[in-house]
Amino acid sequence: MKKKKNLAPYAYVIPGLLMVLGFVYIPIIVNLVYSFFRLSSYSASMKFVGLDNFRRLFTNETFPIMIRNNVYYCVISLICQVGFGTFLAFMLESNLIGDRFKTVCRNIYFIPALVSLTAVGMMFNFIYNPQMGLLNTMLKHFGFVSLQQTWLGDRNLAIFCIIAMSQWQFTGYITLLMVVAFQNVSRDYIEAAVIDGAGPVRRAWNIVLPLAKEQLLVCSIITVIGAFKLFTEVYSTTVGGPGNSSQVLGLFLYQNAFLHDDMGMAAATGVLIFIITVTASIFQLKVSHSGEV
Amino acid sequence: MTRKFKKALSLGMAAIMTLGLTACGGSSDSTATTAAGGAATTADASAPAASGDTKVIKLFHRFPDDPCNGFIESKIAEYESLHPEIKFEVTSAQNQPYKEKIKVVVGSDECPDIFFSFCGEFSERFIREGLLLDLTPYMEADQEWKDSLMESQMKEYTTADGMVYGIPFRLDAKEFFYNKDIFTKLGLEAPQTWDQFIEVLDKIKESGMDPIAEGNQDKWPSAHYIGALNEQLVTDETRAADYNPKSGEFTDPGYAEALEKYQQLVSYMNIGVNGMTHDMARLGFTQGQNAILFGELVEITNIKQENPDLNWGMFKFPEIEGAKGNMNLVSGAPEGFAVSSKTKYPDECVEFLKWFLGAETGAQQAEQVGWFNASKGLDKTLTDESLKSAYDVIANAEKMDIWFDNALYSTVCDEYLTQISDITNGDVTPTDAMAKIQKVAKEAQSLAQ
Amino acid sequence: MADKYIIKTRIQKVLLHVFLLLLVCIILFPVCWLVLNSLKTNQEMFLNSLALPKKWMFVNYATAWGKGLFFYFKNSVIVSAISIFFILLLSSMLAYGLTRFQLPGGTFVFFLILGGMALSEQVALVPLYKILQALKLYNTRLALILPYIAFRIPFTMFLMRAYFISIPKELEEAAIVDGCNSFQRFTRIILPISKPVLASCAIVNLNNVWNEFLFANVFLENKKLMTIPLGLMTFQGDLKSDYVVMLAGILIASLPMVLLFLCMSKQFVRGLTAGAVKG
Repeated sequence: MKKKKNLAPYAYVIPGLLMVLGFVYIPIIVNLVYSFFRLSSYSASMKFVGLDNFRRLFTNETFPIMIRNNVYYCVISLICQVGFGTFLAFMLESNLIGDRFKTVCRNIYFIPALVSLTAVGMMFNFIYNPQMGLLNTMLKHFGFVSLQQTWLGDRNLAIFCIIAMSQWQFTGYITLLMVVAFQNVSRDYIEAAVIDGAGPVRRAWNIVLPLAKEQLLVCSIITVIGAFKLFTEVYSTTVGGPGNSSQVLGLFLYQNAFLHDDMGMAAATGVLIFIITVTASIFQLKVSHSGEV
Repeated sequence: MTRKFKKALSLGMAAIMTLGLTACGGSSDSTATTAAGGAATTADASAPAASGDTKVIKLFHRFPDDPCNGFIESKIAEYESLHPEIKFEVTSAQNQPYKEKIKVVVGSDECPDIFFSFCGEFSERFIREGLLLDLTPYMEADQEWKDSLMESQMKEYTTADGMVYGIPFRLDAKEFFYNKDIFTKLGLEAPQTWDQFIEVLDKIKESGMDPIAEGNQDKWPSAHYIGALNEQLVTDETRAADYNPKSGEFTDPGYAEALEKYQQLVSYMNIGVNGMTHDMARLGFTQGQNAILFGELVEITNIKQENPDLNWGMFKFPEIEGAKGNMNLVSGAPEGFAVSSKTKYPDECVEFLKWFLGAETGAQQAEQVGWFNASKGLDKTLTDESLKSAYDVIANAEKMDIWFDNALYSTVCDEYLTQISDITNGDVTPTDAMAKIQKVAKEAQSLAQ
Repeated sequence: MADKYIIKTRIQKVLLHVFLLLLVCIILFPVCWLVLNSLKTNQEMFLNSLALPKKWMFVNYATAWGKGLFFYFKNSVIVSAISIFFILLLSSMLAYGLTRFQLPGGTFVFFLILGGMALSEQVALVPLYKILQALKLYNTRLALILPYIAFRIPFTMFLMRAYFISIPKELEEAAIVDGCNSFQRFTRIILPISKPVLASCAIVNLNNVWNEFLFANVFLENKKLMTIPLGLMTFQGDLKSDYVVMLAGILIASLPMVLLFLCMSKQFVRGLTAGAVKG
């Protein structure tokens, strides 16, 4: 009887823990092991190659392009989704607009986040299409033919087109999360910050934001991690093209694993993504001085 | 915080190591519970659990769109009713996912018994791992069957050592399609040489139209131009050596020349070549916005569907005068089915393929889908003029030259396609592009061993 | 002075409204354009994507539905329902165990699981695929469900833990006096009181699971098991895509989540507010 009672608490923790260990941690450790081997998806042989996969990864011509693209995605998303998203949340919470209007706006902003990434990718394939796409057709319609672009087919624009698509999709998501956080902050603070003529921005910055800091931190961590595991957005639009100009780490991993039968290289890329995301998360936790979460 | 985290991390590692086995056990336990809840529905579960003599043959193809998908399904149903002891399980995927999926399953226990496989390097790497069934003995045993198939096509499904590993399901080749009305209006004729071709393109362009419809977002369409140009600009021997991953170098100047010629063509294409898919661009041709399309014979069905009234014709890839390569090749390849070496029912699989890819089914296939297989004499049953001329293109071909993107080793192919895509945008010069391809080809030499 | 202030606020008000409406347009305009084109023929769409259709092709929606969307829906519903159930169950148990008992190593377990939040799916992709093959789960629904559960537990537990901490201890103490064991306290007190956070966790996870593509793409091969995001990709043909039908398919497939959210947005926001970080 007594023994049973002692075990009970573990019964709550163990199933969930085992799931996480079994399907998150073990694969990640196995991945680390794989990164030192050469192996393919259809052949059983495994050959130890030491750090060769990493050497090939770092010396790959696409490597700087991928890092650049992931960093672009990360920085722009932080500015637009977290930065602008928070600003938007702030606007929505001001008492200058009615509750009804506010809710409608907030819900509309959130809608794109509910659509699957593949669907959004396919939609934007149409929007960016050079012949019949929304953008070029509009430009033509209003007489700006010279401004027409190839969009996803342009080496210099492709990755930014994809990034823009993500901002369209996820800014509202962050806005909603921040609205929620602001609602937890006493309403007086926000009203004071918005109404008062003397530097509402500054007041917001000084009073409201610190109170919603935790939420902001979570949002920015989600965004940074999301930026480095970017995959579906690119897979459903350019698949890395034109050339390699919109290649990203996540897609590179996938293509090596399932297209070039180079599972070792894929695993090495995985290790790199792992290091980047974990470092970024720890870094942000430290910067925010909120180790206790 | 960091020290705590470090400690936590190292503790975690230890915990994981010890828990590793338990975790696996635990997860399969939960498997059982959820399965009882009705979650686990594998493809196998639906089949009668090895009841008596039922032989289950798994077939995996890449034609999920109708009318082809429906045709395959109906034929398989027909075969099942003729052979009650055989039951098929058919799965399909679109081209790109198919290429990824088949590699994943082919080496595993889930490998389908019969599956679609491109000829050339795509299949040969499976052969190197011993994953494909050698069909040669079956062909030798049934001379009649062997003789009923077109030699030029079977050659593509035969290795250099003479092993037959696949049977064609549909034949295909690349030709230029042109809008006869536009050509007549401008007083043009189908060109035969490269110079004539450029002249024609210039005239069309002068009339204010983008002459060629093309979309290269998927990267393979433009590779087909390069494949065709390489045929003419590089000798067969050199190409054979370069397309083989173990000896590929791509140092012949003809390759760069091919890229230059392609670059010349790009200036005659519609805008945004890299920003569109090939089929989207084809609408430009079928809707009369462009005069020329470099298309596949299997696209005839689509062209007719998109604009039944279009008055179109075909011409061969123009000849480049004085080029040192082979002028008599036709770019294209049969696409067919292979049998897994792991199958439990090799004889049954081959029997099925004989029927499924034979003359009788082939005639129906040509009629219903608009594609024909490698059975000889199908043209006698064809009623449609355009299909007849398409059939002639292949039947008259002395030798095929398989799709460029299927001929190359995967990493080389990837680099080549990448460079062609950049050439299309004018972001790289042909010489620089070749230098990059050469580098990857060299690396591939060691990978392919 | 007061007038000036009023005018100023009024201007601010107008500007703010205009600004917010502009953003609404940016979100909705592309969608309207897509809806418009989904009602045309391929040829019409190609020739002028801004024009109104000559004949409204509602049949595109029927065609899209007939292309197997129903089965993709069914699969998505099954996979999501089972995943969400277990995600909520396991996460709430974890959060309960970690907040209500002084377990040796409890903090460590908490950080270990929380660490899972930072680990991306891609890193585990190749080994998971091999593990699932070894477990004979490749190409089954479980191949999706198990990883979905595992990868969603950390974030969910994180949200729930914050909420559970905020539940006053007195409620449970009263129950202990009544002789309830820990399991009864969990099911009779904690779970009912946590409905808002359970609801918002369900929606957040549902959105994730419903739209997940990477795992579904790699771990499934059978068309009959495909979920919606994967099924949509099959609309993109190799040499032939039926664009208008594809658009119709995309729109149909996107609708349920949007409707669900619009119907439940109040509860959703309330739940999130209640369970928000540092609740």
